[in-house]
Amino acid sequence: MLELKDVHTYYGNIHALKGISLTVNDGEIVTLIGSNGAGKSTTLRTIQGLNKPRSGSVVLNGVELHKLPAHEIAALGVAQSPEGRMIFPRMTVMENLEMGAYMRKDLTSFNDDLEHVFSLFPRLKERVTQKGGTLSGGEQQMLAMGRALMAKPKILLLDEPSMGLAPLLVELIFDTIKQLNKEGTTILLVEQNALMALSIAHRGYVLQTGEIILSDSAQNLKNDEMVQKSYLGVE
Amino acid sequence: MKIMRSGITFGIIAGLLTFLFGGWSVAVIGSLMGVGLGMGLGSGLERKDPFKIAKDVAPTAVVAGAILTLLSLYQNGFVQDAIGKQPAQLNVMIFGNLIGFLGAVLFTTLLAGMHGLPEKQEQKWKMILLAVLVVAFPFIDKLTALRWTAQIIFALIFVILGLGLNIVVGYAGLLDLGYAAFFAIGAYTTGILSSPQHGLFMNFWLVIWIAAAMAAVWGFMLGAPTLPLRGDYLAIVTLGFGEIVPVLFKNLIDVTIKEPLTCWILPGIIRLFGGETTMACITLLSHEDLTAGEKGISPIGRPIIPIINYEFESSNPIPWYFLIIAIILVSVFIIRRLRDSRLGRAWMAIREDELAAAQMGIDPVKTKLAAFAMGATFSGFAGAFYAAYIAGIFPSVFDFSASIIILCVVILGGIGNINGVIVGGLVIMTADRLFLPALKDFLASLLTHTVLPSISDPVVQLAVKDNANPILYRFLLFGLTLVIMMAVRPEGLLPNAQVRAELHPEDNSVEAATPMAKNSSKG
Repeated sequence: MLELKDVHTYYGNIHALKGISLTVNDGEIVTLIGSNGAGKSTTLRTIQGLNKPRSGSVVLNGVELHKLPAHEIAALGVAQSPEGRMIFPRMTVMENLEMGAYMRKDLTSFNDDLEHVFSLFPRLKERVTQKGGTLSGGEQQMLAMGRALMAKPKILLLDEPSMGLAPLLVELIFDTIKQLNKEGTTILLVEQNALMALSIAHRGYVLQTGEIILSDSAQNLKNDEMVQKSYLGVE
Repeated sequence: MKIMRSGITFGIIAGLLTFLFGGWSVAVIGSLMGVGLGMGLGSGLERKDPFKIAKDVAPTAVVAGAILTLLSLYQNGFVQDAIGKQPAQLNVMIFGNLIGFLGAVLFTTLLAGMHGLPEKQEQKWKMILLAVLVVAFPFIDKLTALRWTAQIIFALIFVILGLGLNIVVGYAGLLDLGYAAFFAIGAYTTGILSSPQHGLFMNFWLVIWIAAAMAAVWGFMLGAPTLPLRGDYLAIVTLGFGEIVPVLFKNLIDVTIKEPLTCWILPGIIRLFGGETTMACITLLSHEDLTAGEKGISPIGRPIIPIINYEFESSNPIPWYFLIIAIILVSVFIIRRLRDSRLGRAWMAIREDELAAAQMGIDPVKTKLAAFAMGATFSGFAGAFYAAYIAGIFPSVFDFSASIIILCVVILGGIGNINGVIVGGLVIMTADRLFLPALKDFLASLLTHTVLPSISDPVVQLAVKDNANPILYRFLLFGLTLVIMMAVRPEGLLPNAQVRAELHPEDNSVEAATPMAKNSSKG
């Protein structure tokens, strides 16, 4: 459903993505792994329209995303739980979740979706009237994911959902991702915690300095010698 | 003990104010002090039986009233004499002070006691009392010959301006340093369309809408190229715009507008094919003086109420007062609806985080443009009213300082809070229009009768006399007030709940959230 073809993205003169091509099929969890500065977040930002590719194409179900501004891409059903979370700090948890549903024309299932988010993250329900900025890091991560889910996305882009979280919370977040996928959400997951990411993903791409150096099924990547050495810490 | 202390403070401040105004002012000041003190005391107490609260605050009310009355009597007896005015008449002295005392005690206990009612009822009764006071004010003012209404109207104009700017700065979070430009556009539109200088006498009730529409259109036109900018850059562009507009109006004194089709396009096409043309060129305006430069436009037509054919006059401020109150009520209603609408939510999301808002599917440019145009609309209303009210407009009124004062109204009152902006506008402008001139007169007469005669050197005498004029220092005082406010209470007098939560996280009050499904209008 989502296809990137030879995408080149620049930050000023810095060539951040050097011809990325990848596909995400309906119902898949696809993960991008790689070290710092490999271009993982830039890939997501390019899909979201926050950075425009200088050349190449990003196509979602036949629509050329690279020609659209960010808000129109969001309206097409691309939701992101961004790195650094980017929740609205002075809005309450409830208001943040409502903002997630901003673009939806059909709000009849709003309350059901809200219940769904609360059942995934019961903590959010307890904090519903609290300001987003006063939540803990893990709670903000849950809120960012919950907000993205409220948009009922066709494809959910997750940027470093485990960053800065306690191990217990990381497991909870990954369980949630798996469950979301079972319920039919397509997911593109960017993660530094390669082991966790590969254990829930169907397929994976390995990024290095703006290029894809390897792509295979998650299982094969896990067993790949190079990946084990570089990203899984196996000696 | 704490409530007694605020009672004494209120009493002293109110008493000193009577020094400046004298006469019947004690009656009005006493009642207003009672309202303020009662609200302040009430909100600090816990909700319990109204009569019990009233009983608790009664001693404080009496002390505050007594201090006020004593100071006022001192004013009537000695100060009046010291500044060389006739001593107060006996009936003013007796009844003025009596009403002042009773007003202070009654309103303090009444308003504090209201806090004992359930919250909904408290709000309702306070609104009713407020409405009665607002309606009664100009008539009491007339009876007591204080002549405050005319100045309060200026304060109310700035309330509307503050409400408009609050949409831009408070809701959408865009710093606009040139907001007075839209005020100028509203005022000049009214001036040009309804002044005998141009032989046009359009009806005020029509002109006020045209003025608002003009301001909105210009808000849109200026916003379109500049709003993709962010933060500081936008502030600088609006600053420039605020400078350009008054200069533009100053120089619209020789305007010629030719109709382009007949003057350039058709002749141009004919010449292009080698033809000759003597086509009559239609000139829409020929060397027209639109704004009369520094002299300004004056007079300007006044509103006329149809059917009874009553024309507003400058000698009677009461109809103007009710007109501006009506405009404010309509504005507050519209702004509330806007704030709670989808658009209002989008504004707040943009204010919080523009990138995140875009990811929610909000078009940042369109949303900011809407804020700019809506904000400009309200200053268009204010401009039209202003032009008609003072029946003349001059470019110097709309300079940078006007933009800054409006911004001060928003910041002092409480960014993002409608009630706060109203209070901010009233406080700043009554200080500017009522308090400072009264203080100036008071100081002048006091000096003339005490210090000045004892100074022998005429140069020093003149210097003292000239510099003892607080109006000269108004911007210094504004600045000081802002500095102190930012240090002591950065969230403003009546803050927006979100801003308060951010600045004082320790008392993070929890308020009910409203699910979007209930109150959003689809579209």
